[in-house]
Amino acid sequence: MRVQRSGADLTDPKADGWAQAASESVALAPMPLEAQPTEYIRVKWADLPYGTVPEAEVAAAHDGTRLFVRIAWADADEPNVEFHDAAGAFFPAGGDAPAATMGSAAEPVNLWYWQANLLGAKNLLSRGPGAFHPRAANGVSARSALDDGRWAVVLTGALAEASEAGKLGVAVWNGSNEERAGLGAASPSWINLEID
Amino acid sequence: MTHVMQPETGPQSQVAMVFDLNKCMGCQTCSVACKTLWTTEEGEEHQWWCSVNTQPGQGTPKNWEQMGGGFRDGKPVPGVQPGRADFGGGWDFNYQEVFYGGQGNKTHLRPTEPGDGRTEWGMNWDEDQGGGEWPNAYYFYLPRLCNHCTRPVCAEACPTGAMYKRREDGIVLRNEDECQGFRFCMEACPYKKIYFNYARNVAQHCILCYPRLEEGVAPACARQCPGRLVFVGMLDDKEGPIHKLVNEWGVALPLHPEYGTGANIFYVPPMAPYRLNDDMSIDYETPRIPPEYLESLFGPKVHVAIDKLHSELATVRAGGTSEILDTLIVYKWQELFGPFTKDPASLDRRPEAVAVKFTSKPATPSA
Repeated sequence: MRVQRSGADLTDPKADGWAQAASESVALAPMPLEAQPTEYIRVKWADLPYGTVPEAEVAAAHDGTRLFVRIAWADADEPNVEFHDAAGAFFPAGGDAPAATMGSAAEPVNLWYWQANLLGAKNLLSRGPGAFHPRAANGVSARSALDDGRWAVVLTGALAEASEAGKLGVAVWNGSNEERAGLGAASPSWINLEID
Repeated sequence: MTHVMQPETGPQSQVAMVFDLNKCMGCQTCSVACKTLWTTEEGEEHQWWCSVNTQPGQGTPKNWEQMGGGFRDGKPVPGVQPGRADFGGGWDFNYQEVFYGGQGNKTHLRPTEPGDGRTEWGMNWDEDQGGGEWPNAYYFYLPRLCNHCTRPVCAEACPTGAMYKRREDGIVLRNEDECQGFRFCMEACPYKKIYFNYARNVAQHCILCYPRLEEGVAPACARQCPGRLVFVGMLDDKEGPIHKLVNEWGVALPLHPEYGTGANIFYVPPMAPYRLNDDMSIDYETPRIPPEYLESLFGPKVHVAIDKLHSELATVRAGGTSEILDTLIVYKWQELFGPFTKDPASLDRRPEAVAVKFTSKPATPSA
């Protein structure tokens, strides 16, 4: 995916500048049941559908210091009062981490995470599906818009983190289906970043 | 990756409690002592880490015994996450109107639930309804808190590893900085004694007043109980009342042992009055609380426990003595608290002293 430099403020998913960015349709898949980190989760969700968002429209741009990742997807379901839609952008944290499981215990990924009911974004380390651990905020932020049953979220963070990794993964959680932690849908393989 | 409490990393010792249900009068002093100490901040309005419910009843959260969780044959049982409406409570009241608006003689206090305003359940909604029919209606009170289980399914269910069982005393805690608010703990807990803080996006539950225990002070629920019915101590202290009541005499039992988590809060089951016949004579053969109901709560050992208590009573009535009854009577209040007898008013609670003592706990799992 080409990541162009832009002078515009692209933290807003409705910013005009996003019209110039090339976007890609990325197929998503449920994170594998056998990779879920606890037996409770594996037992509870063995026969239940999760990771129900099949695809997302992904675009990225940068301003020299910050990377903007825009993730958009269709959300037709009624909101759940307990669990909320969420999205994440993630990068290998140095090693050869698997994308499909958002990293592993030995090979974690850096995760920029947005959740509809929370202010801002979280900067996390993911060691596998839902095995998330807090990191210092490091300027990670998010803005979102929900229009006509379609979410658009921009996650913003340090360009250096993305350029070092050279590749990007995305994940989406459908709150209406009580998806959270490792129950989301992730990009099964990495998206290579060509940063201008 | 899987956070299982292995025997080699399990607790060296286990703090436990015994509640004597024959002495509980449902005054909720334990609930309020806990509430005022631990859950007064935003997002904690509906949280009652200790609560007393009337049995039989639907309890808190509503119908919690039908929500699954725990272990069966060593495997976790899928559970339901109790939602905000299942707990209810955390109401606002029209204090301004009644107390300050000049309407005190015309209106009255009305609760309003956050959200849609409807008050349809609360922590003690079905108080004193109980079961049975006149003249054999019956009920008793059941105080409940986190059971600080020997095998905490909540901690095993957590994908982030935020929960742990302390090695030094077996208290089950959560590192709130690590908790991501995913709530598998709430689903997995068969006792449904974990709450969600919607303001802070973290789950919360009874911490067994560990900062007090570390200072030799009994938990607030136990120390404030006016009925002298809450024992605290180490389960393996063979000279202490908990070990004797639970392991030696078998008159204190865990709630729902079939849940398979190894609860460490125990109960002396209630001895009911006898049933009345239609002519109002006493039926000495039949207890008013159906034994099968008690068995549904405390397992089949409850019959042995009840028989034991009756036999001890008979001994004393015949002029004998009973160490069990002397223990349960609690002639000396401090004997309830094992090693935790210190008066909290005697502690140095200057903010700087407290900050130094508790800064790094419970953030660092000791296991």
